[in-house]
Amino acid sequence: MKTIAFKTLGCRLNQYETDALASTFQNNDYKLVDFDTEADIYVINSCTVTHQSDHKSRHFISQANRRNKDSVLVVTGCMANNAKEELENRDEINYVLENDNKSALFSLVEAHFKGELKHPSQLDKDLFAYGATEKGFHTRSMIKIQDGCDNFCTFCIIPSVRGRAKSRSFEAILDNVRSVVDNGAKEVVITGVNIGRYEFEHYKFDDLIEAILNLDGDFRLRISSLEPDGFGDKFLGLLSHPKMTPHLHLCLQSGSDEVLLRMRRMYNIKTFKNTVEKVRTIRPDFNFTTDIIIGFPDESETAFTDSCDMIKDMEFGHVHAFKYSIRKGTRAERMENQVPEKVKTERSEVLRGIAEESKLKYRSQFIGQTQRVLVETINGNTAKGYGEHYIPVQFEAEDLKENTFYNVSIKAIVEEKDGLLLGELI
Amino acid sequence: MNSHKVISIRNLTPSTYVIRMEKKDFTFKTGQYITLGFSGSIDRREYSIYSAEQDDYLEVLIKEVEDGLLSKKLKKCKPGDVLDVDGAFGHFSLKEDEIKNKKFMFISTGTGISPIHSFIHTHPEMDYTLLHGIRHKNEAYESESYDPNRYILCTSGENTGDFNGRVTEYLLKNPVSPDTICYLCGNCHMIYEAYDILEKQGIKLGPIHTEVYF
Repeated sequence: MKTIAFKTLGCRLNQYETDALASTFQNNDYKLVDFDTEADIYVINSCTVTHQSDHKSRHFISQANRRNKDSVLVVTGCMANNAKEELENRDEINYVLENDNKSALFSLVEAHFKGELKHPSQLDKDLFAYGATEKGFHTRSMIKIQDGCDNFCTFCIIPSVRGRAKSRSFEAILDNVRSVVDNGAKEVVITGVNIGRYEFEHYKFDDLIEAILNLDGDFRLRISSLEPDGFGDKFLGLLSHPKMTPHLHLCLQSGSDEVLLRMRRMYNIKTFKNTVEKVRTIRPDFNFTTDIIIGFPDESETAFTDSCDMIKDMEFGHVHAFKYSIRKGTRAERMENQVPEKVKTERSEVLRGIAEESKLKYRSQFIGQTQRVLVETINGNTAKGYGEHYIPVQFEAEDLKENTFYNVSIKAIVEEKDGLLLGELI
Repeated sequence: MNSHKVISIRNLTPSTYVIRMEKKDFTFKTGQYITLGFSGSIDRREYSIYSAEQDDYLEVLIKEVEDGLLSKKLKKCKPGDVLDVDGAFGHFSLKEDEIKNKKFMFISTGTGISPIHSFIHTHPEMDYTLLHGIRHKNEAYESESYDPNRYILCTSGENTGDFNGRVTEYLLKNPVSPDTICYLCGNCHMIYEAYDILEKQGIKLGPIHTEVYF
């Protein structure tokens, strides 16, 4: 039996695609092994959103080659699109597979072992031709609803590497959700590049979410990352649905209107705050998490302080903060007043401290409350999983089962373990 | 990405020009932009579409940028040259249900008038006021193509327009009625200031649409 190892970098969409690919290989008699062990095939599903992601991807390519020089090494994902020539010139890489034919990875590898050397350009191009994810790396079942983005934010390379926005058929998505729920999925995560812009025939994003929520079955729905500009009041109303989890990753990027304009974001601070306030009026403990870019060109000290203040005001449950890095070909590459690296690093430290405080403050409110935890890992009598607010919870009990809901009473928060909540089974 | 032949170049000022290209089967929503570059080149830039949806050609308004990579080369284009067009992109668009029954205020600076030109020429029946902010009157690109009763030229560098000063100063002196749908296109600074002014004048957050030019 041939062994295959995956390393996934970056977004949830990449995670979904890896899960689906890993499941296909396992369903066809390949054995999934850890990336740190020797394998016959290594697949690096790369990311290129920052310099750091490129650096990590290169590191894992070298690591895979060191583990087994005779392995089949495939690099796919956004770096494969953005640095194709560089990667194709590396002898240790067998195949560089761009995003639009990533779903054909299995047929590429099969052909390789049959001695039919295929060039990736000969493969089928289909952004949505992924199989089920039941044997992937996650308990939660991710459902891809769209790919690509037309927003062209000035800092972002994604439209160049993921292409134009394309939405998956409405019925295919509903069938996919029905199928994973029938196969036992308890949590469905909607994923894509810019999911709020979902549009298929006359169906918009809120129509799709409403239809998924109305499907039968004991499951809960999680929306992954959402841009603050692509939805209206109908969607906000759906956040109160009993199957909807009270969590949104709403990408802020900056707390300054001036910076948002230069980023070509399609909202301002007031509209962002209005959205958060509207939702929290109905559900005060709703978990908003976000992304912040630190040191975008010409970010003044005042603009940076505005970002820090927004974190405090919005009481984000988690902030994914990262330093701005120039992406070739984007509009921001040509902007003046690039912020020195030293300043970005200093600002990062300050902002991460504030984000950490915000996270602990937000999570502490759950002490004394009950969370419905979906168990993902079990070690002896210790179970870990996520509550409906997407906060990690650990508790102890006997006869635990993975992928099962447990009602847990939260007793404490462990600051030194990134705000992990400790609880007791009810 | 599609190849489009250049039909003509129309110089509006020594540094600003309109490239007219064949349209072929290209479709767009007025207000959107394209990316443009020479055939086979990786260097591309974004330009709002200047022409109307129904025109049988495609036009973009370009200002030559000092040390610019593409705007200088594009200016030297000749009829028959081939350019690669990708798009249309963007969400700076009019809402179909508002075009006939709403009052619009278009606020633009410099070449930010480009998508507004497309709006107005696609829907000439619209009830609109156009505010165009420039430094000198020779930058009033094809101002004769707008209804003079609806066009207000703001010149900040000389007293030759309908109003001497920036568009933001005009807005402060001439408040906009709260039931107006506003579209702002131009540099960040203008948009940031104008947004603030309009909001204070009672324009609700929803009906303000912006497109930033750099």
